Amino acid sequence: MKSIEQCKQGLRAIVRFRRRSVFMMAGIAIGVATLSVLNSIGENTRRDTVKRVKNMLGTFDTVMVRPGGKTRGMVSLSNVDPSLKFEDAAAIAREIAGVKQVARLQNAFDIDVTYRDQQISPAVFGVSENWLALRGDEVEQGSFVSAEDDRRMMRVAVIGSDVRKSLFEQESPIGKTIRIGGVPFEVKGVLASRGAGPAGASLDNIVIIPVTTASRRLFNRDFLTMIIVQVKDPGDSTRVAAAISRLLRERHQLAPGALDDFNITDPQAVLAQLTKVNSTLAMILRGVAFLGMFGGGVVIMALMTLGVSERRREIGLRQSVGANRGDILFQFLFEAFVVASFGGFFGAAVSWGGVEAVAAYQKLPAVFDRQALLASIALAAIVGVVFGSYPAWKASRVDPVAALRS
Amino acid sequence: MILVENISKIHRRNDGAPVHALRNVSISISAGEFVTIRGASGSGKSSLLNILGCLDRPTGGSYRLAGEDVSSYSDRSLARIRNQKIGFVFQAFQLLPRTTAVENVEIPMVYSGGRVDRRRALRALERVGLGARARHFAAELSGGEQQRVAIARALINDPALVLADEPTGNLDFAASSEIMRIFKELHADGRTIVMVTHDESVAAHARRQILLSDGAVIADAAICAEERRR
Repeated sequence: MKSIEQCKQGLRAIVRFRRRSVFMMAGIAIGVATLSVLNSIGENTRRDTVKRVKNMLGTFDTVMVRPGGKTRGMVSLSNVDPSLKFEDAAAIAREIAGVKQVARLQNAFDIDVTYRDQQISPAVFGVSENWLALRGDEVEQGSFVSAEDDRRMMRVAVIGSDVRKSLFEQESPIGKTIRIGGVPFEVKGVLASRGAGPAGASLDNIVIIPVTTASRRLFNRDFLTMIIVQVKDPGDSTRVAAAISRLLRERHQLAPGALDDFNITDPQAVLAQLTKVNSTLAMILRGVAFLGMFGGGVVIMALMTLGVSERRREIGLRQSVGANRGDILFQFLFEAFVVASFGGFFGAAVSWGGVEAVAAYQKLPAVFDRQALLASIALAAIVGVVFGSYPAWKASRVDPVAALRS
Repeated sequence: MILVENISKIHRRNDGAPVHALRNVSISISAGEFVTIRGASGSGKSSLLNILGCLDRPTGGSYRLAGEDVSSYSDRSLARIRNQKIGFVFQAFQLLPRTTAVENVEIPMVYSGGRVDRRRALRALERVGLGARARHFAAELSGGEQQRVAIARALINDPALVLADEPTGNLDFAASSEIMRIFKELHADGRTIVMVTHDESVAAHARRQILLSDGAVIADAAICAEERRR
């Protein structure tokens, strides 16, 4: 009964000092809104990154094999070991269970491509015909390189939309002859635009030719820059990756203990890595959000501490009519709790709008987690009590004799 | 009612030097007495009243209030005594200004453990003649009215002992007379009243005067009826 009556006294005090209460609520509300909005940004960014990576990797069912040890960055003929042979790709397709298909790739970046007086240096990819399906690319115009083109080492090319724009502008490129490293190729298709990769660079500045043609008639290299292995079951990729590793070590006659002369990217591992990168981002955002809450808590603490010094006479009076130190502590903690909870509630309401605005800006659907919202209101209440405990303790230590004399 | 034996109170100044606010004070006050405590400022009147009111503890000596030795009581027990047995009236009224008269009167009930009884608070205000002003904010009332609200608050839990620290010190003559009339009524009802005052004319209402100087009792005398009549 006593605590109920004391809570009423606390509520009256909140109303009595309404301006201060509103400022305290605002402090907490800003903290909660920051928390919710940053949470939403983090979640949206995570979803967006996963989408971009899918854009690059195609589906998550391809294991990538590259030559060399731990190669970093984009591979190219000029920066890799000549360890990965065409026969390795054939062996993988032939000997490993669970493999749906194997694509071969030979690529270079420093090759000039010209059409009449236009000259550019796109990425030149020699690929097997199944590349299209593995990448999830679409041919917008004409057709892709075929198995027949590859077998016959045809000088045909399929170009990305950026290349088309640079070389042909309004002209139709189909049937036109471009020169790749001085060698003439006939354009037989144009790829649909893919947009940006995870690093933000365009994936459309690309020229694709049959991989055998690339190897024998253009680059004169007998090794691959990448083998892409599509597995039948995406959940099986880790096992397939291990099997490929064993097979290649055997084929390359590596002694036990020797380092691999290739490296394998398991999509499951990539996904795990991504989640980790994102959790770092999420942690930073969460850190900033907690700083916001901390700021709200400091506002509560500062204003309440000022309030306690202003209310010394009230505290002394309450003690003189029978309040003990615990009663005073309780009332001030209760006031902090109520103010912070209301602040949290208003903050949640404000952040509703904020999240919608941020989502609109990011051009992504709003992520609104009701549970997170309730949690942030609860967090606000906890922050209120924690940061209110210092001023409440100070209030409980007020000496009534001194307070009533002032 | 009150039995104080050899109490002393020593404050420490900021530089650590001791200040003797009370030195070996012994007083006995029976139930139903009306006693004033007089003395120059700094003589220890307020220190004594704070100890009698269980707001402060003596540095030495013993204090028995209504048979209980409260010198060794905890903060919690002293708070209960203040709530149940003592009513305070202060020179500066000590009302919450942006709170209505009746809500001010209710405050002691908050700490009594029961429900706050609005009707009882209104009756207490009626008794001091302020029934009509119950819903006014304390800050809107005159000084005399504020002190009457404070008296109603002091009486709400029906304490046996009423302690007043210069209750008329901030009031004009008319308001002072009204306040003193109320105190005499309280005395007539059988309550024990201890009042600190500077004012001889106020002190003259009491049956007994205690004179303090430099923390010690220098005179403690009943005032004969003849003297009081003058």
